[in-house]
Amino acid sequence: MRRLADTDTDTDTVTEAETGGAQVGLLRSLVPAVWRTVPWRAPAAAGALGLLIAGGTRLPDDAPGAGLGLLVLRVTALAGAVGLAFLLDDPARNTSAATPVGRAVRAGLRMAFMVPLAVLWWTAVVLLLPAATRPDLAPVTLQAAGTAVGALTLATAAVRFTDRAEVGRRTVVRLATVAVLMILVPSRWGLLATPDDPWWEATQVRWAVVLGVTLTMCAVWTPEPLERRRLIPTRGAG
Amino acid sequence: MTPVPPVGPATVTATDLSLRFGGTRALDGVSLRLSRGVTGLLGPNGAGKTTLLRVLATAVPPDGGQFTALGHDPRTSSGRLGLRRTLGYLPQTPGFHQDFTAFDFVDYVAILKELSDRTARHSEVRRVLDAVDLSDVRGKRLKRLSGGMRQRVALAAALVGDPGFLVLDEPTVGLDPEQRMRFRELIAQAGEGRTVLLSTHQTEDVAMLCHRVVVLAGGRVRFEGTPAELTARAAGRVWSSAERAPHALAGWRTGVGTFRNIGDPPDGADLLDPTLEDGYLLALDGESAEVTA
Repeated sequence: MRRLADTDTDTDTVTEAETGGAQVGLLRSLVPAVWRTVPWRAPAAAGALGLLIAGGTRLPDDAPGAGLGLLVLRVTALAGAVGLAFLLDDPARNTSAATPVGRAVRAGLRMAFMVPLAVLWWTAVVLLLPAATRPDLAPVTLQAAGTAVGALTLATAAVRFTDRAEVGRRTVVRLATVAVLMILVPSRWGLLATPDDPWWEATQVRWAVVLGVTLTMCAVWTPEPLERRRLIPTRGAG
Repeated sequence: MTPVPPVGPATVTATDLSLRFGGTRALDGVSLRLSRGVTGLLGPNGAGKTTLLRVLATAVPPDGGQFTALGHDPRTSSGRLGLRRTLGYLPQTPGFHQDFTAFDFVDYVAILKELSDRTARHSEVRRVLDAVDLSDVRGKRLKRLSGGMRQRVALAAALVGDPGFLVLDEPTVGLDPEQRMRFRELIAQAGEGRTVLLSTHQTEDVAMLCHRVVVLAGGRVRFEGTPAELTARAAGRVWSSAERAPHALAGWRTGVGTFRNIGDPPDGADLLDPTLEDGYLLALDGESAEVTA
């Protein structure tokens, strides 16, 4: 039986082309296999909800203003983030815990699948808004990216620091808690300013920081640790 | 079934493994050596068996201590990868993608085990499904299979790729007697030429399958040796009495109405031939409330 490890040696009989060929062969098998394991329902439902919310702005005879458009896009981004919270759910987590193709590769592939779909979805959401309703798109897209990556980071943390197979629901609770806290923080110091606020620009800087920090945390927490620092148990030690 | 005798030197060596969950010390300085063949891991609930198996399967790193398996040290990325390439792991409660068929699921695990050639991989998947007697239902979705069948799918997933080190966490739990016998045959076959660590509550499993046995309680190794040695520890310490012996470590009423007691017998006690279970209970030495109740 030929496996990647069989070609991953320095022997004279194995050429780089063979190793590369085996890796390509593995990737060719891995991509559709991991695609099948993605829990599509939650992201699809959240995506559909987001499109409905955005599409709802076309119902009134007079297009709503950009202020409402900003609110709609923020709510839509949150809906999309709720869908992403389920992206790392893996009911077969313990059965596949000790395989050479580790969790990081599988999680990375799932995220890679989602990026183009999320971009397409966000584009559709924006296009659904009447032109008069659309706010300045760069800042709100930054906020949407920050919210999405924040949700993924919360899910990644839940996977890394617990042994739960399905972390989506808990991630949604945490995401909702963060969202409520964001609403409670005065906009001057928080992340939910409006373009009319004098601290609008400063808010964008904060969103950029959020995006950078969450991206970094997501990248750091995705690989499986070689050393254990802390693990929250979900069942007995037996 | 005759237990497979040990072959060659230690293939897995663990030294002083420790792991703490919050305030609970799940593993407390566990050291052991495994060789080829089937080694049984016995212990009461909460003994740390699952935790030890998860550590040895590289599913969770230990807080302290170290181990090597088949020459690989999982404290480095390359060591862990090398070990995983030769590892089969059956967790206590295996999870599945329920919409997958049995074939698709084992094929998925085979892909994760880097079996890149599609034809050879599918042949290997068919081989292991045949080995666990699931060829007839390989096209059925997992959610349509019984618990015993799903357990066998998980064993097939552990066996795929012909791993040199098999870690099996209570594989016979929830199986009926016939399925259990079938599983024992499979595990005995798997133990030929491989290192198999089998966690179980069933002393019969150990008696029938294992050339070595480790008793774990409170996160510590209480005994390591052969099943015969464990049984021999109870020689002269098992006796029969008409009433429950008050100072016995464990005692229970038998089917004929007398009590079977384990511990230090009184003078003139009616001594009985010990069993592996007697030796196991003595190794626990009052650790488990379940056996002393």
